[in-house]
This record gives sequence, structure tokens and C-alpha cells, in this order.
Amino acid sequence: MSSKLNRNLPAKNQRFVIALLRGDYLIIAISLIAIAVMFKQFWQFENASQLKIRQGNIVLGIYDLNQTRELNIKGPKGISVILINKGQVRFKQSPCNNHYCVHQGWLSRAGQVAICLPNQISLQLMGSKNSYDSLNY
Amino acid sequence: MRIFILIIMGFLLQACEQIEPLTNTQSYVFGTLVDISIYGESEAEAQAVSAVIIRDFQDLHNRLHAWRPSDITRINHAFAKGKVPVSIKADLATIINDATTLSIQSKGAFNPAIGGLIKNWGFQNDEFKAIQIDDNKINQLVSAKPQMTDLEIVNGKILSNNPAVQLDLGGYAKGYALDKAVLTLRKQGVKNALINIGGNIIALGKHGDKPWRVGIQHPREPHAIASLNLESGWAIGTSGDYQRYFDLDGKRYCHIIDPTTGYPAKGMQSVTVLIPPQVNAGTLSDVASKPIFMAKNGAYAVAAKDMGVDNYLIIESAEKIIISPTMAKHITWVDQKTAQHVKQTQS
Repeated sequence: MSSKLNRNLPAKNQRFVIALLRGDYLIIAISLIAIAVMFKQFWQFENASQLKIRQGNIVLGIYDLNQTRELNIKGPKGISVILINKGQVRFKQSPCNNHYCVHQGWLSRAGQVAICLPNQISLQLMGSKNSYDSLNY
Repeated sequence: MRIFILIIMGFLLQACEQIEPLTNTQSYVFGTLVDISIYGESEAEAQAVSAVIIRDFQDLHNRLHAWRPSDITRINHAFAKGKVPVSIKADLATIINDATTLSIQSKGAFNPAIGGLIKNWGFQNDEFKAIQIDDNKINQLVSAKPQMTDLEIVNGKILSNNPAVQLDLGGYAKGYALDKAVLTLRKQGVKNALINIGGNIIALGKHGDKPWRVGIQHPREPHAIASLNLESGWAIGTSGDYQRYFDLDGKRYCHIIDPTTGYPAKGMQSVTVLIPPQVNAGTLSDVASKPIFMAKNGAYAVAAKDMGVDNYLIIESAEKIIISPTMAKHITWVDQKTAQHVKQTQS
């Protein structure tokens, strides 16, 4: 069996390479079209892939958004609970009075930010490219 | 095949983010988030300059604080006692004179003398809550007519001809701080920076070979509604009903108090102004949106003109967006649906 394979390798290998090349062309073409279409459709609503959490001026970490995880972050007011759930994130609980941060709800797009001013915690969503440098609000 | 691999690898390499000389720092001053981006300096250099700016902000905040012991509370205390002249430092006199000029320009819509009203609404608090609305008290505060022109500054001393004047520079300080920060950056030789104090932003230079890019927050949803290039020296500011407010009996009461009614201004969700380069661009970006936000019966164009503002954007609701023609040239809407609800003003 193995000797037969060995003997036929050069010819077979060549055919295999040509076949793969045709497949490559097709896949590359389809991928490029798909990328172009998706880019056009979603470039302004690019889904975020990562989350940067800061307390005050300290970057506590950069987290992968594609997970389910609860984080307890300590600020001057107490513990803020931040929930990451499969591509989105939100303030789940906060020790502040007005709960603007919790009312912001889920964030999923690159460039979105949520801030808890009293507890000095900011969430910033990042994608492959940032759509803007800063937010006017 | 090899060529293909090279091309694909080329794509992949491009996708990798290049490390750029951008330093970003955040801190909390003026009761809000301060975000400083510096481009083109070493990280140590950028951190050092940012620290100086933050220290100056903190210093200014402490001196102008409207409810914790400060230079402002000290003179407010004297105003309430009658015509008692109190000494003030030269830079504070300059600030008060400048705020008075802007108040006159806005026909009193921008009025930093109504600290009494702001306090009554509970907004002079780090964290405020819904209040019991006392109409008698509000009427009393409005009819006392506290105005900036009631103040007199002579020989380093200030006095108020109206005991109802209580200064609150909350609608001025952040913009003024931006202008000061630009001076600091220039003095330190920083050529490219973007400073954001609670949404009020000023740009210096560029972000690499592109202008700084700024998103404008949607007043009701947690994402941007539009974006624009903020060229060097330009400043942008927004007054909105969604940053500091409380809900009571299903109604929203925001922190922007109309001095003529004594009640929070209503009718608009947000007003954004874009200010071209000038000495006080930062200050104007903070101050000039307020008179437009308070404008009644469609008088926003007049209010904008009074403040010398050409570029403004008014969001009454997601379905009603008003924009000046010059502002429209700067803006990129986040989606087609939003763009359909935009109405351009005539001039």
C-alpha cells in the first residue's frame, strides 16, 4: 500500500496541487467578495472584539468579549459588577445613586463607551480599527 | 501558489495593528471624565505633560467648586450678606469678567449667576436625586433676577449689587480649562493632542497623518449618532438632557436651568456646537450650546447668531434633527436612517 503511494506520489501530488489551486481561487474570490460586502455593510457598526476596563487612570485589563464572565471592580463608591456575555458587555450592578451606567444597557459595537462617574469606572469597546478617537457627549 | 501566500501574508500583516506613538490617559476631574490623547511624543513625555494638565484642572476645579469650600463659595457667601467687597485673585476676576461678557452676548440665557436655582434643583451635588419641586421658592429665585451685570470688580475686590447672585461656573469651567490646556501643550512643545473633558473636546494637530476623529453621542442610545474630523484648533461641545437629570412622575428634569422660567429647559435632547480655531474656542464650545438649548419657539438660529456660532446640530428626537448648512458639511451620519430625519436650516 505504502509502496504504491510512494511510487505514484509525484504525479498525484501534482494533480493534488492543481486541484487545490482551483479551490483556492474560488475560496479566495468568495472570501474577498464576502469581505467587501460585509465591510460595506458593517464598517460603521463593527462588532467589538475586546473590552478595555479602567478604574481611574489605571487600565485594569483588556478582556476578550467572546466569553461569559462577571467581573467585580472596586471603585471609590464600592463594587461595580460588569457582565461580559458573548460579544457584549454591560454594567450589571453599581453602588452609585443614579445608575446611568446600568441604564446604558448592553454595548457591542466598537467605539462604544459606558462610564460610571461616581465609581470612576469606564468601559471602552474596541474593534480591529477604532471608528473615532474620542466621544463628544 | 507562492505568490498567493505572499499576497495573503501581506494582507495579514496589514491587519496587524502598527504600534503608534499614541498615549492616552484618563482621570476624573470637574465631576466628570477627562481623557487626554497625545500623539507623536514618547510615552514618558506624554504622561508628564498629561499629569501637569490634570493637576491644573484639579486646581481650577477646587477653586471654582460651587458647593465645596472654594474661592467661589467664599465670594458667594459675601454676596448673600449684601454689598460686602471681598478680595479676588486677578485670574478669577478675568474669568468672571469674561463670563459676564458671554452672558450679555447670550441675552442672559447663559447665566452663571443662578447658582441659587441650580442648588434648589439639587444639581449642586456629586450625586443628586429627584427633589420636591417648590414653585414658590422657584418663583422667588427667578424674580430676584440674579445677573452677572449685578457684579462689580474694582481694585481686586468684588461685590454684588444683588444679594441673590450666587455664582456657579459649571457651564464655563470645562471649556475654559480646555483653552488653558492648549496653552500648556503648546508651551511644552506638544504638537498633536486631543483633550476631552466630559464630552467637551479640543484638538491640537493631528492623529498621525489624519485629523482627529470624534464621535457625537446619540442622546438616547449607547452609541454615536454621527462623527466628524476635528481639525487642529477646533473645539466641540454638547448640551444634553441625558448626562445629569432625574425623572419625577414620568417627566425628565435636566440640569440646564432656564433663568427666565427657573425650570429645566425642555424641547431638545441635545445641542452640539462646533467652534473654529480662536483664543477661547474651548470656552465657547462649553458656553455657546446653552442659549441654543434654551431657545423657545424655534428661535435657535437667533440664539446661535448671538453667540457667533455657525456650526450647530440640534437633536429634538431621533425623528427630528436640525443642522446648520456649515455643520452639515462636517458631519458623517452613522446610518442612512438617521440621515433621513435631518433637516437643514436655511442659513
